[in-house]
Amino acid sequence: MSSGEHLSVAALAPARLEFVSPSQWRAACERQAQAGGRFCGLWASNGAQGLQVSAVFATLGQDHVLCAVVPSGVIDTLVDLFATAGQDEREAHDRFGLRFDGHEPMRPLLAHPVEPEAWTVPVHSHDAYQVAVGPIHAGAIESGHFRFTVVGERILHLDLRMFYKHRGLEVAAEGRPLTDGLAFAQRACAACAVTNTVAYAQACESMLGLAPDLDLRRARTLLLELERLYNHLHDISAICAGVGFAPGSMAFAAFKERAQRLNRRLTGHRFLFDTVALAAGRLRIGEADARAAREELRALCEEQRAVWRELCFAGSVQDRLGEVGQLTRDDAIRLGTVGPPARAAGVRHDTRSESPRLAYGEFVAAAPEQPGGDVAARLEMREVELLQSFAILEQMLSGDLAPGAVKSLNTPASELGVARVESPRGETVCIVQSDGDTIGRFHLRTGSYANWPAVARASREGLLPDFPLINKSFELCYACMDR
Amino acid sequence: MFVLLRHLQGVRREIALPSAGPRGSLALRHVDAGSCNGCEHELTATANPYYDMQRFGLNIVASPRHADMLLVTGQITTRMVAPLRRAYEAMPQPRLVAALGDCATGCTLLGDRAQLAGPLEEILPVDLRIPGCPPSPQQIADALLGLMRERAGLSN
Repeated sequence: MSSGEHLSVAALAPARLEFVSPSQWRAACERQAQAGGRFCGLWASNGAQGLQVSAVFATLGQDHVLCAVVPSGVIDTLVDLFATAGQDEREAHDRFGLRFDGHEPMRPLLAHPVEPEAWTVPVHSHDAYQVAVGPIHAGAIESGHFRFTVVGERILHLDLRMFYKHRGLEVAAEGRPLTDGLAFAQRACAACAVTNTVAYAQACESMLGLAPDLDLRRARTLLLELERLYNHLHDISAICAGVGFAPGSMAFAAFKERAQRLNRRLTGHRFLFDTVALAAGRLRIGEADARAAREELRALCEEQRAVWRELCFAGSVQDRLGEVGQLTRDDAIRLGTVGPPARAAGVRHDTRSESPRLAYGEFVAAAPEQPGGDVAARLEMREVELLQSFAILEQMLSGDLAPGAVKSLNTPASELGVARVESPRGETVCIVQSDGDTIGRFHLRTGSYANWPAVARASREGLLPDFPLINKSFELCYACMDR
Repeated sequence: MFVLLRHLQGVRREIALPSAGPRGSLALRHVDAGSCNGCEHELTATANPYYDMQRFGLNIVASPRHADMLLVTGQITTRMVAPLRRAYEAMPQPRLVAALGDCATGCTLLGDRAQLAGPLEEILPVDLRIPGCPPSPQQIADALLGLMRERAGLSN
């Protein structure tokens, strides 16, 4: 996994922006997909040119952004081409009043109408009834509402109603200097604070024609993997709790505690807050501290391996995991699922292997032994990725760490920055559109945002009492979704 | 299983809190009214083997009807005001409210004013403030145990 000092300028070039007319919008998006572009988000904005809609397509070389100015406020939908555009279009509709021709029915996402008919899928049956859960849940977890339509114990359909935690972070960031945006990206979610701030910094830096040097790439890679470490340990603990296996849950909760204490020793914060800066580095770790951290991580790795083996041979745990909450590979691709749930379903994609602004080198996405897309595969995915993270951390901490800096790429500055960063929950896409020196539009499409529809899909036909377990096997953030 | 239980026994020796706590119990109901999920993580961590708050009678209960104290996190969003009030009204009396973290205590405001309902103390009477962004499990435990001691008439 060499870090490769020589960076290809093409790979670091800002996203290519192409304006199309509203009538060409749909065909242009379809062409991008046919040329191998992967749809990674759609957003609306209301700038100097009026109402606009944009979509980003990831390609191996340079990301491509299509943009259409929509004076009429109506444009063709993409939802039948990319099912994952569904939430994006609903958000653009609710926030900017943009209408999508062919997106029927347009159910609200941000808006919370009272009548269930306005936001749930109608089910007509003598046997079906609804179970409403939330927004306040029984455990110490985030707020959100689940409306299950069930027959007996079996889930027919799940409607999600999120955005109870909508704080309007994107709106609040707009009009402020670019450096202020970091605070808003960080506040979106504590458990993804590093991912969101690195994505924001990368989006701004690519817009400004700047590239991080090797020190800065190493520092950010280290932070991202420290974040993944405590999150994955937490997720394994949560899945053990989901099957009522307290010893496993407590053992991994203790590992997570150790990982967070290590975070504090290395960076001063258990959630790694305020460790990412814009166009600069903040992290400095001396040789002795790096060595101590390496030793702690080796011990942690070894001990969690021993407990993991115990889980593998605990029949009462294993019997609860297989074929529960299954998400097929086809559904994962269709729904644009990202991160561990997608890889557990057999989609070999990890944004870390296409991150020239980080120090992942020749990173290859991991896969479970049986990518069955069920709770068992998603659990195994966490352990497989933990081992990768331990290896990367060992490498990043191999010597002292300097904060690093950025250098100019001598490319013309752009008004749009796009960044894609792999969070513990999947690919997070950050969009920054500048307005002079300030933020014109800031948009965060996190791994959780992309994956919530997969939770609903994986729960379908499952048992209602299995839902907490299925939900924990995704362990998505509500805060990241709601912003 | 033997390996796992032996491992856990080792972990329990690192408990960071004093082994003798106040007597009695405090049933807690948590309401996330618009947090970043940091306070939730740390609140959950108070149950891990390092802190093990249950041994002091501090338990997170599933319903506000079973709770002595409402632990509220986050900047209060307009959409969570009504569920928060309903949870409070469902509690038996006497009841306590704690603002958990800098957002709920009103120290930080970051967001669109149109989406935020204002600090918790303008919505519910606040009996305990636990500052921190987020407060660590130790700080949460110290604050709750301190309150229990105070109410039991014990000096800290």
